[in-house]
Amino acid sequence: MKLPSRDLLVKRLTRVSAYTILYIVALIIILPVIWLFVSSIKKDIEIYSWPIHFWPTVPQWSNYVAIFTMTPFVKVAWRTFLLGISTAAISAITSAMAGYAFARYQDVKGSKRLFQVIIVMLIVPGIVFLIPQFIVFARLHLTNTFWPWYLWAFSANAFYIFLYRQFFLGFPKELEEAAEIDGCGPFRIFWQILLPNSKPVIATVLIFAFNSVWGDYLTPSIYLSSNVTLLAVKMATAFVNPQGKTIFAVSLAATVIYVLPLVIVFFFAQKYILKGLITSGLKG
Amino acid sequence: MAEVSISTPLPKAHASKRARYRTTTFYMFLLPWLLGLIFLTIIPLLLGFLTSLTNYDGLNLENIKFVGTGNYARAFTRDSEMVNFSFWRTVIWGALNLPLWLGLSFLMALILNQEVKGKGFFRTLYYLPSVMPAVAAVQMWKIILDKNNGLLNALLSLYQPGTAIGFLSTYALQGMTLIAVWSGLGAGMVIFLAGLQNIPEELVEAAKIDGANGWQIFRHITFPLMTPVIFFQLVVGLIGSFQQLTLPLVLGVVGLSQSQASVPPRSIYLYMIHTYQQIFVNQRYGYGIALLWLLTIGVVALTLLLFWSQKFWVYQGDYAQGGES
Repeated sequence: MKLPSRDLLVKRLTRVSAYTILYIVALIIILPVIWLFVSSIKKDIEIYSWPIHFWPTVPQWSNYVAIFTMTPFVKVAWRTFLLGISTAAISAITSAMAGYAFARYQDVKGSKRLFQVIIVMLIVPGIVFLIPQFIVFARLHLTNTFWPWYLWAFSANAFYIFLYRQFFLGFPKELEEAAEIDGCGPFRIFWQILLPNSKPVIATVLIFAFNSVWGDYLTPSIYLSSNVTLLAVKMATAFVNPQGKTIFAVSLAATVIYVLPLVIVFFFAQKYILKGLITSGLKG
Repeated sequence: MAEVSISTPLPKAHASKRARYRTTTFYMFLLPWLLGLIFLTIIPLLLGFLTSLTNYDGLNLENIKFVGTGNYARAFTRDSEMVNFSFWRTVIWGALNLPLWLGLSFLMALILNQEVKGKGFFRTLYYLPSVMPAVAAVQMWKIILDKNNGLLNALLSLYQPGTAIGFLSTYALQGMTLIAVWSGLGAGMVIFLAGLQNIPEELVEAAKIDGANGWQIFRHITFPLMTPVIFFQLVVGLIGSFQQLTLPLVLGVVGLSQSQASVPPRSIYLYMIHTYQQIFVNQRYGYGIALLWLLTIGVVALTLLLFWSQKFWVYQGDYAQGGES
């Protein structure tokens, strides 16, 4: 009689503590986002005031107008957007090609070896290559241009190749075999059968690739001078008004606008992304 | 069905022709990546190594001089003080950040693998910071952790008036850890969730029938079967920690106006920051690349050590995941 009730108690306790942890972590996750937004509609003197102003006395929506009138935000954002979209599109195609090769041509000699290179590249962070590459690009006078970005996109990406490969491995072979018997060449099979059926993984790769340009601080700060730089670098330092004074609240408002497209796209695509990442997992 | 067309006996010549055709197709599909591997990875790495044997300053090829292993020796002689300092800051950073990140993302994955209310909502929410760029994440935390105007010190002041802890100066390492764990929690959790979902259900069911309680199931089934995933995360996390550059770099500049360039606080003067300073501030390209190579050697050694340690704690039995498919 005693044992079941004790078990029940333990079960309830674990349950309660699990929910407590869930909610506390959720609060810590969301708090900075909320605080950023609240601070973005304050006046600068309210941000710097002591004791603290938790809420703005009068919401300063004009901060959001000032982003467009007082700072070069739009110009730099548009430049970054175009580069992000175009490189994402290129990389989504070349990575799909490589992923397809690794998924369907495992019998080819060298295939296994080269896939091990992919795994190594997955683990080693890009910073190891970034600086040696910089020296080469600088000598070729390609710094301060977007050529490096296009070349990186063209040469595909280990992580995206890995995602595509996992996806193609789970794709039924019958369709391709039927097409092959009908005399369809491998590139047409890839282009007309595989790609149109890979929308979830293409969407995931496009989002990751776009984010990697939109959010990247390190590469533009090394490769580009300030007149052609990308948005992350502009966002890192505070905006200044025409008189040369820091306008911190406007910078915070700009950060809200900066992350908003990423958050919106994520919420629409999260089902694909999380499912894709969770199911593809580690099954190498 | 699938094998029919291939396994029908074909004339030998036809089979080898087909194999050759498949080889060509394979390399055609792989061509963009292979070109990148050669021209954007292997050649720069080799040129980088050659550079590390010279006094190259990033500008003049006329004054370039071969200095042999001088740059490597410099790290242990003339510059040893700063190299040692930044190296140990990096070790401490890894020791603080890695267990916290691993533990917390594993815990959250364990909870969210159960039948809890709002599972999908929590998973989405926890992953949200992973889509936030580093610059935005640092900006958000800066206005919370700031010594004089931050929210956290303001809240602490409600209980202890006048609290002004330098979470981003004196305790910048702790502050940076908080930001890193916040940013990485979702990505880590997703990998652990993937691992948890690969645990065969019949094992857990069988244990339940035998009367095992939740802790026993975790201790004897879930945890051992998850050790390959923990191992993988540990390797990736360790390498990432040692190469951390963006966070301290961004922490040094965010919120300042462009005119005030700044070096990050001493407590987060990591090895990569020192390398970055050598290359882009002091124009010592050769020496900077030498530092990069030294780090790479160290990280490879540590990784090999981890791989060796596998046999003591990583499950490699019949239910192991992550093997070759």
